[in-house]
Amino acid sequence: MLHEGLASFYFHYLSALAHGDLGESDSLKRPVRELLAQRLPLTGNAIIRGLGVAWLAAALLASLGLASRGWFYEASGTAVSSLLLSLPSAVVAMLAVHLRAPAFSAISVVVFPRLHRYMRSLLLRSYDQRHVLAARARGLGSFSIFWRHVLPLATPPLLALLGVSFAIAFGAAIPIEALCDSPGLGQLAWQAALSRDLPLIVNVTLIVCLVMLAANALADLAGRAFAGDTQ
Amino acid sequence: MSPVQKVAALALCMIFALIVFATILVPAHYARQFRDVPNAGPSTVHPLGTDALGRDSLSRLLYGTRVSLLLAPAAALLSTLIAAVLGSAAGFLGGWFERIVLAVTDISLALPWLFLLLTVRAMLPLDVPPMASVIIAFLMMGLLGWQASVRVICATARGVRDSDFLLLARSSGCKPSRLLLCQVAPILRPLFYAQFWISIPLFILTEANLSILGLGVMEPMPSWGNLLRGFEDFSAVAANPWRLVPLILLVIVVMCFQLVLPSQEVIQ
Repeated sequence: MLHEGLASFYFHYLSALAHGDLGESDSLKRPVRELLAQRLPLTGNAIIRGLGVAWLAAALLASLGLASRGWFYEASGTAVSSLLLSLPSAVVAMLAVHLRAPAFSAISVVVFPRLHRYMRSLLLRSYDQRHVLAARARGLGSFSIFWRHVLPLATPPLLALLGVSFAIAFGAAIPIEALCDSPGLGQLAWQAALSRDLPLIVNVTLIVCLVMLAANALADLAGRAFAGDTQ
Repeated sequence: MSPVQKVAALALCMIFALIVFATILVPAHYARQFRDVPNAGPSTVHPLGTDALGRDSLSRLLYGTRVSLLLAPAAALLSTLIAAVLGSAAGFLGGWFERIVLAVTDISLALPWLFLLLTVRAMLPLDVPPMASVIIAFLMMGLLGWQASVRVICATARGVRDSDFLLLARSSGCKPSRLLLCQVAPILRPLFYAQFWISIPLFILTEANLSILGLGVMEPMPSWGNLLRGFEDFSAVAANPWRLVPLILLVIVVMCFQLVLPSQEVIQ
């Protein structure tokens, strides 16, 4: 494909794209549209399930650690998340293969420590604010402080984090799908890179860009809607 | 410095000393094959055993540590330099320049970083000599890893832009280039150090991921990622626990880098 030059490749690619034709993969000899339609749902499914588990675990651990204010929760949560942060996602994938765990569990293991660390520092900062101190002084219970005084302020950054976490999850999905032999979009991108398949990688980039843009825009909109609600 | 930070810094110093003396300590060259003893266990000749091709594992670990621990800080230095120049200039000058820099940053941050590296690597030849693969990995991470730092530096530089000391310097006839170099840069210097330090563990992990996927440092040159490729057959590793040493070393180093600089909230 490249023999005709990059500029002419892009010209042909864009004019075909305008007609809804995504071209044909060089290495797999199949229409890219068919490949994407096959692989996208698998990766989407794995990412959504992985993110769900990771968000639940991170939110639970971060709020438990803060609510109890005990050194044990705090220390063990921090130790686990910094240990997981130090593992390359490819090694997590190989462990998942060894334990015969599904790909989404590996994604959640990679995403969880990043979410946990951010949520923990966000909650710590929220609890340090003066209005929380005032609420404490008024004798409010810890649940109602969390629900009505901490959470509303922490929600917009959390929604932004939701957008970012999609990018983290997809970044993790590449080595995980490649090594777990799960035929998704991440594996497709890896194969395209190894076989230098330009039409395929250009289209995968396009799809990933669109999905990330949509995720971030949705998170942004949700954040604005929420801010409008509270004002 | 807290005691934990001291311990982490000490451990890092020891590991860096280890790679300086690697050439004296190693039993053999990293590519030399002992063909009579492939897959051997630990012995006095080969303290960590040999790999499937009969190469001494300790030598490969020491050389691999050297490659990874030189590659990541070098790439971090390059990316921090780019981020420092772009970020402080954008924040200081403002206007269309700032808008362009931030737009480019946002666009490239929209793609997951590993995916971006994969895409760029796909455009470059794969069958290159090992040394060239190290340089490609270094340039790729250095030239593509500055986006997150630019945003932080630009935001801080923007805060400095309207400060009184810059007004004074401007009114006494300081040129913009001198303003940037002698007035703005010293204020941002701690931020540069922090961004440099944050990038190192990230780049160590990225190199490992790329090399495991076969897109980073090429054989027979060892690096942490290459050494971890042996983990694909995990049951063999479970039977020979000494093969875990590269992973343990990597985890210790990355954790030390994270512990030395505790207050970081970079999401990547």
